[in-house]
Amino acid sequence: MMMLKKELILKNPLRFIGKETQDILSEGGFGAVLARAGVGKTALLVQLALHTLLKGKYVLHISLDDPVNKISLWYKEVFRHLTQSYDAKNTNKLWEDLLPHRFIMTFKVEGFSVPKLEERLTDLKEQNIFSPQMVLIDGFHFNDTARTSLSDLKRLAKNHSLHVWFSVKTYRHEKSGPGGMPSSLLDVSDLFDIVIQLQPEGKKIHVMTLKGGPADSDRPALFLDPATMLVKDII
Amino acid sequence: MKNAINKVRNIGISAHIDSGKTTLTERILFFTKRIHAMHDVKGKDGVGATMDSMDLEKERGITIASAATYCEWLGHEINIIDTPGHVDFTIEVERSLRVLDGAILVLCAVGGVQSQSITVDQQMKRYKVPCIAFVNKCDRSGANPFRVIDQLQEKLGHNAVPLQIPIGLEAAHQGVVDLVSMKAIYFAGANGENVRIENIPQDLLREAIQKREELIDAGSMFSDELTEAVLEEQEITEEMIISAVRMGTLTRQITPVFMGSAYKNKGVQPLLDAVTKLLPCPYDVKNEALDMDNDETPVTLSGELEKPFVALAFKLEEGQYGQLTYIRVYQGSLSKGDTIVNSRNGKKIKVGRVVRMHADQMEDIETIPAGYIGALFGIDCASGDTFVSPGLNLTMTSMFVPDPVISLAIIPNDNKSQINMSKALNRFSKEDPTFRTYVDDETKETIIQGMGELHLEVYVERMHREYTADVTTGQPRVAYRETITRKAEFDYTHKKQTGGAGQYGRVAGYMEPVNGTKFVFENKIVGGNIPTQFIASCEKGFRQSIVKGPKMEFPVTGIKVVINDGASHPVDSSEMAFVAAARGAFREGYYKAGPVIHEPIMKVAVETPSEFQGAVMGLLNQRRGIIVGSQDEGPLCVVEAQVPLAEMFGFSTVLRSSTQGRAQFTMELNSYKQVPKSIAEELAKTAEKEKKGK
Repeated sequence: MMMLKKELILKNPLRFIGKETQDILSEGGFGAVLARAGVGKTALLVQLALHTLLKGKYVLHISLDDPVNKISLWYKEVFRHLTQSYDAKNTNKLWEDLLPHRFIMTFKVEGFSVPKLEERLTDLKEQNIFSPQMVLIDGFHFNDTARTSLSDLKRLAKNHSLHVWFSVKTYRHEKSGPGGMPSSLLDVSDLFDIVIQLQPEGKKIHVMTLKGGPADSDRPALFLDPATMLVKDII
Repeated sequence: MKNAINKVRNIGISAHIDSGKTTLTERILFFTKRIHAMHDVKGKDGVGATMDSMDLEKERGITIASAATYCEWLGHEINIIDTPGHVDFTIEVERSLRVLDGAILVLCAVGGVQSQSITVDQQMKRYKVPCIAFVNKCDRSGANPFRVIDQLQEKLGHNAVPLQIPIGLEAAHQGVVDLVSMKAIYFAGANGENVRIENIPQDLLREAIQKREELIDAGSMFSDELTEAVLEEQEITEEMIISAVRMGTLTRQITPVFMGSAYKNKGVQPLLDAVTKLLPCPYDVKNEALDMDNDETPVTLSGELEKPFVALAFKLEEGQYGQLTYIRVYQGSLSKGDTIVNSRNGKKIKVGRVVRMHADQMEDIETIPAGYIGALFGIDCASGDTFVSPGLNLTMTSMFVPDPVISLAIIPNDNKSQINMSKALNRFSKEDPTFRTYVDDETKETIIQGMGELHLEVYVERMHREYTADVTTGQPRVAYRETITRKAEFDYTHKKQTGGAGQYGRVAGYMEPVNGTKFVFENKIVGGNIPTQFIASCEKGFRQSIVKGPKMEFPVTGIKVVINDGASHPVDSSEMAFVAAARGAFREGYYKAGPVIHEPIMKVAVETPSEFQGAVMGLLNQRRGIIVGSQDEGPLCVVEAQVPLAEMFGFSTVLRSSTQGRAQFTMELNSYKQVPKSIAEELAKTAEKEKKGK
């Protein structure tokens, strides 16, 4: 099973954007995955999470749209695709091992607030139930008041030694500012260390780094396979 | 049946204990002229000891809470269906709820939304049953219907909208103001049977106007006509408001609230009006069946009378004249003399008597059309069976019945109890396919099996109450299983030659783990090393071995046995010899194949007010649980976890005490998983002790 784990770790989706070595986000760091509805934000977030889980770390997945069951299904699906070519018995065992490292929390959009999250998080940590190193926030609303919440989140992330990935929904009509950054993210983009955009191009989904990518531009273009929503291997 | 289907209502009345469900049902039956005198629920001494509805039934000699009671109001036929009061998720609850089209949620004006109201509400939510609320006991001191409405919104997340306001509260409670017609309704006469409609008292006028506006506001979400009328300041008719509120009610987006005091006969008639006006008729509700020929794909039932017949047997009742089977017809119609098929076992049944239950008597009828509830006599079936026209293969409930995960020994305390107990067990296993019973060969004890501790507790309680069977229960036991983890070979010779006919048989091959099935046997013998006639004996020997695993005597699952070699003796080989050889071979291979114990892991969902979320997670965590996640739903929060069943004993008590009784949980089997080593050792020790004790 160790072999399987190692092989899967090598499949790190972010290896291809030049961040293969260590965790790309430091404590308190923010990352964002941008895309229009249905393009694969959650799938990519789940891949990032699975990768972190494989390294034995703890991931808290917060969803503001979907129920726990649905998120759980996402993990199962992505994991199934990732491990398709491996022996089922081993992968089942691995899945069981990963499960306790993951925690899904869902809120209604209007019910979500940083103090509430902090309260929950402290509760989990104090009772020694769960202490995440990575937090995913799926469905966060980037509106006018987002900056305050994000700044609070940043403080929380630093205090609890964790990094946060967001999914950001973009819209067709939305104008993009400098560097291709969508307007909803413009005001707060300074808080983010890495911003990745998913752009459908024909039958493929292009993974573009808007911020925090490698300096050299000769790296080959990176695509998601729309069937599995996994990062395609570069041939 | 004389009425059109749109004048039929199949409803349930659900309530917290002591909020007046029995009184309200009684008043409904009185006002619909099903019974002719009212009796008080309170005891004669006036102390206020509330009698159990069961006692009341005995005293009255009628069955108020029979499975389905029929009554009429304003030309509508109303079937009041008994909804089980217990909290545990069982197949029985599911059945009762799917027969309902709508419900009245009774709440106490003093107590408000109590824990059981929450449970009942959750069940309704799960089955998407539209409901209206009745705030009862407005005559009690401390009554405040508006506080209850607030609680409905906050605690249950209902969009609760009052359609009435009270005229006086506590001792001064006289009647209600109807916000739709803007009239005051008083209830005069000895039993409140004379409804007097007057103008709204001056002092309530302002409040009434304001509440009516709120009502129209809420209703306009569901009707363009009403919205237009409001915007263009046209006259708003009663029909507009009713039809808008009905739309909202049917989709569970509005909960209309009515009020009164059933005990003082106030507000019951307007509530019945509301049942006819706001709750759905069978047509408004989409019903689905599963197509057995098509991998259980859901099929929508049309409710048309010309279509083939489909009905669900939702309750069995032991009457004076034998078994009465309550059915709800979903499609087509059923007449006396028809032949129908029980889709569970394919048995054809000829329908003799078709009846309809009244409060205290039954009436023979000719047909039961779609949407109606009726009863059949003398039909042998189990509760939950689906009846269809010959040629159809539909079922209303999935045929998948999970294996029980927990067992309990029960011992009758005397002879009479013994007889009653077996009667009860016979009935329960017919009613509920997840409830099973058998007699243990070794201990000679009667064992009952089910889906959870609470599930079995409910049945033991019912044995006491309904069958006066006095039984003692043993410790609940988890249904562990054994399985193997790797391939292992065996080669065993059974030889006995000590006088008389000898026994000889050699069986060789291997065993390996297999997924998704209990046992697979494969014969790969070539050249007749084991003669063909003894192959079946070998399989028999292996099958006997898996009933009680060699490791801990738990049933063995997920094992494949392949035999590929062997030997026989022309004289000494016999069937018996090969059965014995196979058993020996199994034991030999089994210990080499890395046997492990598996335990049932339950999917547990705890619904709790948000403030107790931390405490609940702590409780689950202490029980070897993996918390999958938490879901915030406004004031409530659902924590989902996977917890070994063995750790869930007594959880309901602990949960209650650490959340002030406000959290509750459901659990169902998720999967079987290997038990951790430390626990396996403990189990082994206990098994050892028990063996010595025998």
